[in-house]
Amino acid sequence: MAHLLAEGLRFRHEDTPIHRLDPRVKLLISIALFSISLLTTDLYQLAIAFCAIAVPAALAKSLRRLGKVMSVSLTFAAFIFVINLVFSYGLYRSATLTLRFMAIVASTSLFFVTTSPDELEYVMRWFRLPRDFVFAFVTAVRFVPVLMLDLTQIIDAQKSRGLEMDKGGPAKRLRNLIPVLIPLIVNALVRSGELAEAMESRGYGAVKNPTSLYALHLKSRDYAALLVTVAVWAGVLLCFRVV
Amino acid sequence: MAVIELRDVAFRQPNGVVALDGVSLDIDKGEVIAIVGGNGAGKTTLLKHLNGLLKPSSGTVRVFGKDTREQSVAELSRRVGLVFQNSDHQLFSETAEAEVLFGLRNFGFSEDEAAKRTDEVFRYFGLEHLRKRAPLTLSGGEKKRLCIAAVTAWNPDVLVLDEPTVGQDYPSKLRILETIRRLMEAEKTVIVVSHDLEFLWPLWARTVVMIAGKVVRDGDPEEVYSDSDLLESAGLRQPQLVTISKMLGRSPSFRNVSDAVHWLERREP
Repeated sequence: MAHLLAEGLRFRHEDTPIHRLDPRVKLLISIALFSISLLTTDLYQLAIAFCAIAVPAALAKSLRRLGKVMSVSLTFAAFIFVINLVFSYGLYRSATLTLRFMAIVASTSLFFVTTSPDELEYVMRWFRLPRDFVFAFVTAVRFVPVLMLDLTQIIDAQKSRGLEMDKGGPAKRLRNLIPVLIPLIVNALVRSGELAEAMESRGYGAVKNPTSLYALHLKSRDYAALLVTVAVWAGVLLCFRVV
Repeated sequence: MAVIELRDVAFRQPNGVVALDGVSLDIDKGEVIAIVGGNGAGKTTLLKHLNGLLKPSSGTVRVFGKDTREQSVAELSRRVGLVFQNSDHQLFSETAEAEVLFGLRNFGFSEDEAAKRTDEVFRYFGLEHLRKRAPLTLSGGEKKRLCIAAVTAWNPDVLVLDEPTVGQDYPSKLRILETIRRLMEAEKTVIVVSHDLEFLWPLWARTVVMIAGKVVRDGDPEEVYSDSDLLESAGLRQPQLVTISKMLGRSPSFRNVSDAVHWLERREP
């Protein structure tokens, strides 16, 4: 399941109108969609919210990947549904709350699916977050696929030594994780040490305020997207009668 | 009798890349076979089919006559032992000894039998002085030998080594070579995957060349290693002894340096 989530959220370079947008605009689109999802109260509004999410997702050719992320959140969604039902909010209300959760997941995922780790870094720097923090965060995001690869190779190696991961009771299964988690953690630590040395030898931290090769500039298509986003956002909110 | 039988095996990765494309191969009992090819030729993907970690998208893989689709990885691994390239992906125990015991326990050996086999394998690989050491503190060569020992311990019929020489210095390579030779003498079936032909040459083993997921040649080492064009298109470097033999117009090629020296000495006027 973690694999599916990482696969769904992993950025892939694609050439679509959404991918080409300034990352700040993409963030704004996601925030707008997030706020719309948050404000939904009935199925009719949810339908509008899902449509609002589906259009940019379709433009970004990412409908299937969003679907993958959402299928992962299904377990949690089911949990929300059952809890609400148990506390007798009724079938309709429980379904609405559950779907709202799914909409929130989809709207936030859209940003991560269409924004490269590099762009993420530019956005965070634009918000004047501390450089070390930005670097650590972006590196963590970037290392997810690397660690996933490590994980599959480790699992393969231990299965070849007779480890049967889904055999035995809960206690045994927990113990089965040790041969997998220890190499994974050790490798991650070794790799982080190597990364630190490589960074230092390439002058990380040599100057307080390093310059950047790439600067964020809004182009006409970004302004257009901005306009459309604000218009749709305002329209939907009017429709929801919250204003 | 063929212990491993691949028939038109194709494997397509989830992202659509074809990693294996119509591979057919028979490996007999007691045979030593080298699978060579450049990066991304599909060598490791092929190996993972041998113990069922991967199942073919089409075609069949039979191990001891039984389709791998009908067996679990654990069942297959009991007979086909795989040693992966990166030792750090499998070492996790507090002591080298526990590392060896791990596989033995997984395969259900009694504690007495496991202890006996552990003793044997440490002696066999000359690792006795490292028994109580933490595997992660060992040198690259020691780690590699420990990994091979940990798999050999349960005495699989087929031993598969994936790129055993990567990151190994010359003495370590010689030790690995020695290990393979001893397994050959014990009439084990050994499959070695490598792109280090210089290492493979003295083994004098049947060689399978892979390019882009296909087996492009399967023959005796003399034939394969003297085909410079084939090696070049596979991204491989000809062993120096073969190059020298070709330059001197001598066939078959020198098996080792002393062969070459003898021959040259005899030619002196």
